[in-house]
Amino acid sequence: MKTPLCELLGIEAPILQGGMAWVADADLAAAVSNAGGLGLISAMNADAEWLRTQIRKAKAMTNRPFGVNIMLMSPFADQVAQVVVEEGIKVVTTGAGSPGKYMSAWREAGITVLPVVASVAYAKMAQRSGATAVIAEGCESGGHIGELTTMALVPQVVDAVDLPVIAAGGIGDGRGMAAALMLGAIGVQMGTRFLTAHECNVHPIYKERVLKAKDIDTTATGKRLGHPVRCLKTPFSRKIMKLEADSSVPAAELEAMGVGALRKAVQEGDLEHGTFMSGQIAGMIHKEQSCAEIIREMMDETEQILRGAAKWIK
Amino acid sequence: MNNFETVAKVLAEYKEIDPSEIKMETTFEELGFDSLDIVEIIMNLEEAFDLELEMHESLVDVKSLISYIESLQAKA
Repeated sequence: MKTPLCELLGIEAPILQGGMAWVADADLAAAVSNAGGLGLISAMNADAEWLRTQIRKAKAMTNRPFGVNIMLMSPFADQVAQVVVEEGIKVVTTGAGSPGKYMSAWREAGITVLPVVASVAYAKMAQRSGATAVIAEGCESGGHIGELTTMALVPQVVDAVDLPVIAAGGIGDGRGMAAALMLGAIGVQMGTRFLTAHECNVHPIYKERVLKAKDIDTTATGKRLGHPVRCLKTPFSRKIMKLEADSSVPAAELEAMGVGALRKAVQEGDLEHGTFMSGQIAGMIHKEQSCAEIIREMMDETEQILRGAAKWIK
Repeated sequence: MNNFETVAKVLAEYKEIDPSEIKMETTFEELGFDSLDIVEIIMNLEEAFDLELEMHESLVDVKSLISYIESLQAKA
């Protein structure tokens, strides 16, 4: 199976690994790229030197292309935007804003720019600013989420822009990927599925929580603050939900509780103070696998489903 | 209409409220706008002002919005 995304990014499987902050490091990115997908390093809130070190580490681990996710709200956004150019990165995905101000430098450097969008208006803005394609991410995904589901968002974005669309959010196996292609996407981005990969460095407690999760075990905190985050139900997220419902608790206090909470989950497995970001498909993940196994399984399942889809037509 | 009146009209239409409820000091938080709303509003403002606007984290209230629009008008 090949889609236009394979050619666009120079990859074999039209699967991007989500740019998950604290999770998407050189080890995971290189493993996904070696498996034929596109691995991504998350620049998160880190500075230029951290990112440069990760990029060089990944380069030593794979000869295949990999990308960098840049969170535009990062205090180091200007620096890391420059590092990707200096290090010859060919694919950049962006989150939390509009990449307009970096676009000309990136395009000049031959970088394929893929903004993550959660609405049609965002997608149109990305198109106007010169994006190569957009990643339409539904609210089934883990981490910062919008309002629309992938099922509703992807076809509306496909109709609204003249750019290729990559679907994200709620895609955990070949069924999800086949469905995304049917919605008009040319590929998918998956985050949660890679959380339990052997090559993923999250704390064992984090992996265990994802593996044990059922369908209803994620929730969205931070709605009152205007930036909802999907995460696993844990003692910490339950506490946040309770405080959020209490209007006497000031927003600043809730914001302060969230600071550093993802790191505590990823590095320390701290259930009392950590935010275990995860998408709704956590309930579909039952085993740890290598990135190569994940990508091969995704491709085999998708091909099988797409071949079989003609059975409905009489 | 001056810039403030146009901005107030766009915001009020989006929120389906009376423009008189929009003041110079009104914040997006008070209006209950999240980032998705702000992108929609930016698109509506582009049409109203015939300008190209970008999303910017400094846009948090009516005042910052108007000074941003005025800076672009000065350049145009």
